[in-house]
Formats: sequence, structure tokens, C-alpha cells
Amino acid sequence: MSSVPADTFRHTLAVERADRPSLDGRLRDLLAGKKILMTGVTGFIGEQLLWKILTELPDTTPAVLVRRKRSAGARDRMIGVVKKEIFKAAREAAGGPEALLDSRIDVIEGDLPNVPRLPSDIDVVVHCAGDVSFDPPIDQAFTTNVVGTKALMQRMIEACSADDGTLVKTPHYVHISTAYTAGRRRGAIPEQAHVHSIDYQAETKAGLAMRDLIESESRTSKQLAALRKEAEREHRQAGYLTTAADTERRRLDWVRTELVKAGTERARSLGWTDVYTFTKALGERVVAEVGADVEVSVVRPAIVESSWRHPYPGWIEGFKMAEPLILAYGRGELPEFPASPDSVVDIVPCDHVVNAILAVCATHPEVGKAEYYHVSSGARNPLTFQGIYGHIRSYFIAHPFEGGPRGAARLPQWQFPGAASVERLMSTSERAHKIADRLLAGAPRSPRTRKLANDLDRTRGRLDFLRRYLSLYNEYAQSELHFVDDHTLALTQALHPDDQPIFAFDTAVYDWATYIKEVHCPSVTAPVRRMDALRRRRGSRPNTMKNLAKDSAGSSALAIFDLDGTIMSTNVIEQYLWARLPELSTPRQIAELGQVLRKLPAYLRAERRDRGVFLRAVYRRYAGADLAGLEQFVDQTLAPVILSRLSPEGGRRIREHRAAGHTTILITGVVRPLTRPLHPLFDVVVAADLATDAEGRCTGFLTGPPLVGESRAAWLNHYAALHDIDLSRSFAYADSHSDLPMLSVVGNAVAVSPDIALMRAANANQWTSVEWKTKPSTPRWVLPR
Amino acid sequence: MARPGFVLDVDDRTPPLLVASGDTYRLERLPIGSRVVYPADSLPPIHPADAIQAALDTPVGSDPLTARLRPGMRLTIAFDDTSSPVPAMTAPDLRAKIIEAVLSRAAAAGIDDVALIAGIGLNRRQTAAELRQLVGERVFRSFHADGLLTNHDAEDLTELADLGEAGGIAVGLNRRAVESDLLVYVHLVTSPAAGGAAVVLSGLGSAATLAALGAHDVEPAARAAAAALVAQKVPLFAVEAVLDADVFPEPMSFLAKREWEWGLKDQARWFGLRRATAVVSSVKLRRRVLGRLTAPRHAIGIAGGDPHTVDATSRQLCLAQQMVTVNGQADVGVIGVSGQTPYSVDAPTNPVLAAWAGLAATYGAHTGTPLVRDGGALIVFHPLGSDFSPLFHPSYVDFFAEVLTDTTEPSQISAEFEKKFATDPWFVHLYRSSHAFHGLHPVHRWYEIAQAIAKLGDVVWVGADRANAERLGFRAASTLADALEIVSSSVGRTPQITYLHTPPQVVVDLS
Repeated sequence: MSSVPADTFRHTLAVERADRPSLDGRLRDLLAGKKILMTGVTGFIGEQLLWKILTELPDTTPAVLVRRKRSAGARDRMIGVVKKEIFKAAREAAGGPEALLDSRIDVIEGDLPNVPRLPSDIDVVVHCAGDVSFDPPIDQAFTTNVVGTKALMQRMIEACSADDGTLVKTPHYVHISTAYTAGRRRGAIPEQAHVHSIDYQAETKAGLAMRDLIESESRTSKQLAALRKEAEREHRQAGYLTTAADTERRRLDWVRTELVKAGTERARSLGWTDVYTFTKALGERVVAEVGADVEVSVVRPAIVESSWRHPYPGWIEGFKMAEPLILAYGRGELPEFPASPDSVVDIVPCDHVVNAILAVCATHPEVGKAEYYHVSSGARNPLTFQGIYGHIRSYFIAHPFEGGPRGAARLPQWQFPGAASVERLMSTSERAHKIADRLLAGAPRSPRTRKLANDLDRTRGRLDFLRRYLSLYNEYAQSELHFVDDHTLALTQALHPDDQPIFAFDTAVYDWATYIKEVHCPSVTAPVRRMDALRRRRGSRPNTMKNLAKDSAGSSALAIFDLDGTIMSTNVIEQYLWARLPELSTPRQIAELGQVLRKLPAYLRAERRDRGVFLRAVYRRYAGADLAGLEQFVDQTLAPVILSRLSPEGGRRIREHRAAGHTTILITGVVRPLTRPLHPLFDVVVAADLATDAEGRCTGFLTGPPLVGESRAAWLNHYAALHDIDLSRSFAYADSHSDLPMLSVVGNAVAVSPDIALMRAANANQWTSVEWKTKPSTPRWVLPR
Repeated sequence: MARPGFVLDVDDRTPPLLVASGDTYRLERLPIGSRVVYPADSLPPIHPADAIQAALDTPVGSDPLTARLRPGMRLTIAFDDTSSPVPAMTAPDLRAKIIEAVLSRAAAAGIDDVALIAGIGLNRRQTAAELRQLVGERVFRSFHADGLLTNHDAEDLTELADLGEAGGIAVGLNRRAVESDLLVYVHLVTSPAAGGAAVVLSGLGSAATLAALGAHDVEPAARAAAAALVAQKVPLFAVEAVLDADVFPEPMSFLAKREWEWGLKDQARWFGLRRATAVVSSVKLRRRVLGRLTAPRHAIGIAGGDPHTVDATSRQLCLAQQMVTVNGQADVGVIGVSGQTPYSVDAPTNPVLAAWAGLAATYGAHTGTPLVRDGGALIVFHPLGSDFSPLFHPSYVDFFAEVLTDTTEPSQISAEFEKKFATDPWFVHLYRSSHAFHGLHPVHRWYEIAQAIAKLGDVVWVGADRANAERLGFRAASTLADALEIVSSSVGRTPQITYLHTPPQVVVDLS
């Protein structure tokens, strides 16, 4: 292969500078007796760096700065690190993870930017902690990359200074940056400080201030009202607290999104792709400025991916940049990518980066003159998008994901139509999705609607994924950067011949086909394949619809059932008509029916807004009915109609719960007389009680508010407390979104023929959804007689 | 004289033959050499009013009814529920006529204390509309509102009386019936099953008694002893009417004709029926239309008096109507199951009931030797759809979902499940206050199925839901040819095939 920039770079070695820092011996000797303080050891590069020091540099002492994570202290976290597979040899040599820590590693607990005092015997500081995400909130990006870096360096200088502030020794500060600090520049990027005139202190101050600004803005009445409306649209039926919780969640999301946006826009307004590279670039400026009196080197890796050779080919921790895209492609979910087919994907294997860092640690740059090293492949061994696409595609053709019952996924063929066209495709899809979603919201509840909604949600998930990754990588996928890596190349060539097999980091030594198809892809797909296999074996679905024969909770558990739509196919309007119409004369029946029909739209609106309001409106119509007569009528005439609408599966499930010793509870907004035929199934029936006047006639009001939405959850909690019930072992069955709070308080919630909103909630909470059907033998319009 | 039933040998001139399959009918061409058992045409009907008068006033083995009535006595009239006949009789129901005749004699005798009880046994409670249909509008209006026209309640311990023990079975019966000075039991005979006191017992017995009588290992002698005890302890006047073979509702009456006798008009009706059932694709709607149709059944004999004698008389007449003599057992029997069964009136026929109707009621109707040889195969036409009435058949839902997924073996069902179904409080509640069949109902039906097919090899359902057939322990095929292919492994390539051309009901008599 021959391409102009590559050829140009490959054959153009940098002008040899006599004063360039170099290596004059083996690394183990050069770094012997030195203490290397490193940050980010729990991360990807840091972990391998530690491994390499422990394995290849026996006389070097690593000191690690580790922050607390919840209850785990620094030492606990380090034990977790050295327990990993790659440390096996070191661990065994030392006699266990604790012994390894005690004998070889200095652990310092501390955080960035709140760095504690550092020991005075440090010789080298390697700062490889940082955000891996490209789109952190702006304040977080500045805190980590600018403020944190500055704090670390100041502590380092303080540790190497006497009390009066004069340096007693000159430490070597090795800063791990990124090649993409070059930002939106184009063409060849030399290994030196980027030229710009940005006042990093002012930028940092402004960036950090954004948090308070946006936080305040999120609390304005206008913003809160807008968020509440959004939350209400989705959760109104579930009640105020659910809505409130969702509003707050939305506010936090909004703040985060705005902070991210603020970061991205600020970065772009100054010529960087995103806030990550922008703050990293400012971090380099900090390094040069604060480190004016010490030795400073800046290592700028490009896209760090799995190892080429060490600790073993394909070693990788967690998912980095390209993995989600590779996996999505393998699953057939990445139909197109807005990349330029000829732009270079600058990937470097992790072990090359680690080797380069250690080699840099062993150099002594001139004080006050920072050295820069690009660890990149694009200049001398370029891999184009077209190339990586071809390799990944052929890898998945040879080793497809097991696609389950439907076979392997079809791999999309990319045409590289350009960013604009992909963007058009995306936004059309998103618009279509939005319309379909709105249409579906009004669709009647049925298995078909649920299936459509499920499909739609899957599409939504895919679109969101694409949108997120495309917007993140859009810039990189079209970058036309070529990172000159002459300094790095010179350094690797300066390695002692004995060090070459261990520490070499010439990124031109491997060929991409081998790396992608035999090292990287197998490595990143392995955990996914394992997971898939596990899921296939276990069955992917969580199950809250447990087999009650094995349940041992006994009387400490409840089984709560909603009525309408869950164990019975009816609604309160229909029930009202059953109960009321038979006692009226035919003309009055017609008049009553007419009135109900006329009010139906109002009722439906009320139902969408608040179920309590709706129930009250319908129950007003019971005014004047004789309660005792109604009860008798239900027992004698209505019972068969009600029972014929009882779902057989539901009835059986209730009795299974009784057989298992659970307390069965019916919670419903239906008026109590209508639940009478079901009383034998339940220990407790919570229903709406119609208030009566002195003559026993219904007033049209209820004796108390109907138990709907959150009041059900509150009632349950109270009941459980009174009766010594373990709600986590209890069961609840309901069909509509308004029952969400009730379902949320029990350990085993089951959505029965749910509406779309509840179905989504059930999917999110990993609740089982079941279909309980009823097949009444008489049609709806036949009045009970 | 009506044409007797006969056995047709299928030859190349035989047209495709009518086979019932759920609520549709189809024409099937049977392999040449098969035999077809045709039922007899209806025997000549009698004049009902005269026959009722004769039965009541000149009964057999008893004084005339009027002689057994006296003022101030307690009279109870019990009668069969809607499970017989199926489809329902075109109004007025013969039972209504008989009951009216009894009531007019009671009124003439000055009896005030009269009660009417529907002898439902473990069947579902009759709705008011059904009671009205059974006893007629006039009687219904006079008795129902006062609570004197009721359903028997086999679980109401306060309203059951203990008659003592017979054949190891404690016999309990409806208290009102036991404590009456006379019990008149009105029974319509549609099959040669035991009548007389046995019907009283199965209609008015206590749940415990009926549970014991329906057990899978009960001795026939115990049943007879229990019935004898009832006959001995209860002053009983039995009235039994034997019905003819006019089982098809009027628009479909041509289906009773032999296929080669269908005229142009019949062909046209067949075409219409086919189109109609094809157009009405909703099973529910089809069932509603067909369920409404009534059959113009006629009585061919009515007898009253001593239950034992009446039973013998009516059984003989019933056999005269239904018995067809067949020479030699077949290797393969073929049966069609129609949409309406005694226990699925106004409801879908669930798989268990369909199996019962085909295997126990139709295949089990014989004089001692079944149609198919031991180890032979039976091919049955029915879709076995999983449609259950939540109102009528809740215990069937559970039986199908819980028991049959576990076992189809009667002894195991008896040991592990029978008690639960008998005592499940929810089933008892639904039986007593709603319109559900008792929890034991599906269990007993399953025992009857198991007994009927005990000696059969394969049972293959044509056009049936495969999963449901499998759950019942059977196999499914899509066509008759496939079914024959399936059974060929056990009966060979050239089996002797006999098709039981029902309905109307045929009692097979092997000679």
C-alpha cells in the first residue's frame, strides 16, 4: 500500500538532535532504585503500567495514588487490582496480594484534585488518570484535566522541595495526554506544544462556574414547569410522588446534558472537537507552566486499544472507544457510519503505550523544556476507515455472533455515503419514530400494541445508541490528522538491544489485518460471547412470576391483585351500566345510556389525567341507587356476569397464592358491592365504599378517597408494617401505569396485559409481563337479567 | 315403520360421507371396504298429551298418580337439567308438559306443599332462563319467585339427608326430596344408561355420595346398591319419556338423511351451510348461532310408575331406537364429535369435554363389546380448541392446565388431585352461587374417558390442535389419510375401518 502522507512520513526521520533525551542502557538499570508515582492505576493503561513495572523492573518501586470508592479504601482497591489474572506471577512470587502490596507497592490514598502530601522520595510521576469519556460535563472535565493536573504537580514539587520552597531534587513529570489535543487542526501534527493563545486559567474558572450557572437555571420556575409537564405527560396517572421523582431525574439529566453541551460548544468555539481534548490540551499548558523547573515529558497516545504482545495479545480492560461500535456492527445494528473511507483511524496497542511511557520515564529531558511524544500509528502504518471496516467485517463473517433462534445477524454493508447523508437517514428515522410513538400512545391496549411498542422501543434504543456514538465519533471519523512520531520512533530505536523484545513500541511492526482480526476483535467479543452463551443457557428473561410451589414465604407474604384489566376484563363504566340499567325502564335505560355516552369523552380525559377524578365522576352517577338492593342484585344477577369475566389464569394464580399460605388482597377502585362475587378468593378486599344517606340510598359520593396510584403503595406499606409482612417476598399483579407505585413496593411485581407505559416500566425493572385472557361467553352489550 | 339402522359397506359408488367436527361438518371419502354404521330413522312419535295421561294415570308397577296424592301431603317434583337433550328440545319442553300434568293432578288433590327441584347433581346451576325453558313459563312464574323452583345443591349440608349406606357408600340425598311424601322425577331418556332411581341419585345426591359413585374404581354393583337404597327409602314415582332421533335443528335436518338420498334442495342447503360456516369465521359467533337452534325432538314412549319397571321399559324402547347390530369388531373406528355436548350448553366445548363426548359418550355407547378390537385405533374428528368458559368450566381450566400436564392416569389423578378438586373452596363457591360445574366434574368425565378407551391403542384426532391433543394423551393429524397413516404402525396397512355415523346417537351391538 502506498499513500502520499504515509510514504512521506515513513522515510523522513526527524533531524537528529544531539541534545534530544535518549536512553543509554537497559531500562531496568536506568530506573533501578527509583520510585515512580503513578495515578490512574485502576484504569486501563495504569494497570498494565503497574504490571510492567512489577514484572520487568525489579528494582523500581511503584507508588500509586488511588482514590476511595464508596466503602473501599485505596488499599482494598489495590488488592482488587493485584488480584487480577495478569498479576498472578508477581502475586505468587510475593506470596499473596497483601504481601505483594507490602513488599513492592506504596499505596497513597488520595483524590484529584484533592491530592494529599506526596512522599519526598519520588523520582518520577506518571499521571495517567483522567476521564475516558469524550463528553463529560464541562466542570468535571476541567476539574480532572486541568485543576487535578495542576494540584498533582504542585504536590510533587512540594514533595521535592525544602521547607523554604527551593527544589532539593528534580523530579521527572510524565504527563499522559492524548494525540487528539491537536483539536480540529488538519494535516501533520508535530511533537511539540500546540500553538494557541488560550488563557487556561480564565477558561477553567469559566468552565467550573458553568455548574452553578446551569444548576441555578435548572431551578427556575420556567424550567421546572417544563420538566414537570414532561414528567406528567408520562407519569401523571402514577401519582404526584412518581411524577416528582421523575421531574427531579429529568432535572438532573437536563443539568448534565447542558453541562456536556456547554463543554462541547466551548471546545468547538475554540477549535477543539470536544471538551475532553480541549481540557487535555489546556492540561498540557498547565504542565509546561507549572513544570518549568522540573523535567517534563508529555506522552500523547492516539486511540489506545488492546495489547499487541504483553501481557498477552489482546489484553484489554473494559470497553474503550471503538468496542461498542465493533460489537454493534457484529450484531448488525450499525447500518452505516458517517466516516470518510480514507480518513485514518489512529489506533495503538496498549502495550506500546505502556512501553513508551516507561522508556520516557527513563529519559532526562532538559529542565524547562518539555518533550512531547506521539504514540500513534497513523503516520507510518496508517489504517483507513475503509480498511478497519473491511477487517472487522471479514472477522464477523468468519466468526459471527451466535444469533439465537434466528441465526446470525446480517452484517450491513457500508457505502460511506458521507456524514450529511447518514445524518439525514438518522433524523428521518428519528422523526418517523416520534410519530409512530405518538400514534401508539393513543392505540387501544392489546398484545399487538404491546408488540409494536416493544419493537418501537428497540428501534429507539438503537437510534439513541447510533445518535450518541455518531455524534461522539463524527469528528474523529473524519479527522485528517497525521501525528508525527519521530521522537517516539527515535526512543524505541534507542532501546538497548536486550530491551527490544520486552519494551519495543514501534507501531509500524504489526499488520492491521492480523491485529484487528486475530488480536483485537477476538478479545473484545469474547466476553460478549460468554455472556450470550450464559444467557442462552439460563434463559434471558428475569422471572418475577415465580413458581409458587417452591415459595416458602408463607404467611409473611402478600399477594396483591388489581381488578379491572388484571384479573377481570371490564371497566367501571361498564360495571355501572350493568348495575344501574336493569332497574330502569327501557326509555330511561336509553336516556341513561345516552348521557353516559355523551360524557364518555370527558370521562376518558379524566382517566388520562387522574384516575381518582375519573372514578369520582363515574361514581356520582350512583346517586339515588339503593345500596342494599344493589348488593342483592349483584349477588343474584350480576355475579355470573362478573365471574364470567374473571380470567381463568388470574383466578388460578390467586388460589395458588392462597395454597402457598399468602394473604391475598384485592385492591381496586371499583365500588365494593361489585366485588362481592370475588370475596371468597381474597382475605382482604380494598374497594371504594359508596356513601349512603339515612334511607340507605347512595349519595353519589364515596366514604373516602378511592385507593389509586400512590395511595395504594402507602396503604401496602402500612398494612405490611401492621401485620409483620415482608414486602420483598410479596407479589403484586396489575395492568396499568397508575399501579406503578404499588408494583414498585413489592419484591415480585408482575405486569398483567400491561398498557404501554407499564410495559416499559416492567421492562426497565425486569418484571415479568404475562397475558391473562378472558373469554366471556356473552357479548358486552347483553344486559344481565 | 321407520327404517332400522344398518351397516353400509363403502364401495366406489359411495359418496363422501358426512362427519361432524366441532361446530362444522365435513364430507369425507372413506377408503373402499370401510363400514359405516347408520342410526335408525326416528321411531313413530306418540301423542304427548295422551301418553302423559296414560303414564300418570295407568302407570306401571304403581298405583295411578292421583291415587298417591292426598291433601296436605308434601310433593316434590324433580327433573333433569339442560344437559339432556342436546340440542334443546323445541319449546315447549316435554318436561314442562309432564310437570304441568303432575301439577294439575296435585292441585286437584288439594296439595299445597309442592316444590320443584332441578336435579343438577354436580352439573352447573341452571339459570332462571334455563329453568323457565325446562318447566315452562306458567310453572316458572308460579314457583320461581317464591323460591319453590330451585336448583339442587349437592354441597348444602343442611339441605341434605342421610339415607344410610349401600355398597360401602354413604348415600346422601336432597332433604326436601327425602322428606316428601312423594317424589316425582321427570326424566328424558336419550341414552340407554341406567334410569329410574339411579337418575334420582345422580340428580339429587350429595356431593360426597356423587364423589364416591364417580370414583375411578367404583364397582357397578355399588352403584346399583345405592340406587336400590334410594328406591327403597324414597317414595318415588318415576316418569320417563324416551326421545326419538330427530336431533338436527330444522334448517339442518337434511343432515340426518343418508348422503346418497340428498336431493337437490339438500345439496343446496349443504352448500349454504358450508358457505355460512366459512363466512362466519368467528368461532364465538358460530357457536352462538348454532347454540340457539333447537331440535324438534319427539317422544316415542312415556312411562310412569315404579322406577325399576319404568327404567326397564324406557331402556328397551331407547335401545329399539338407537341400537344397531354390527358384525365383528373393527381395527379402526372413526367418530365425529359435534359442537354441542351435554355439558357445554351455551358454552364452548373445551378439549376435555370434546374428548368425553367422542370417547365416553359416543364410542362408549355399546351393549358390552366396544366397536374397536383391543389394541385397535380410534380416529376422532374435532378441533380441540382451547376455549374454556370461565363461568361454567373453571374447574376444567384447572384440570386441563394443572392435572393433564402432569398425568392422564386415573389412579394417579385419584390419588393426587381428586380430593383437591372435590374440596377446593373456590370451586365449591362457584358451584353453589354461580353457574360453574363442580370441581369433581372434569375428574369424573376423565375417569369415564379412561374407562371407555382402556383397551384401545392409538387415539388420533383429525384437525385438532396438536398441543391440546398431546396434553390429553392423544395424537393429532390434519387429515383422515394422515390419521390412517399414523395408526398403520399398529393396525397395518389394510385395517378394517368402521365409521360410526353419528349424531344421532348409535348404540353398537356387536354380534
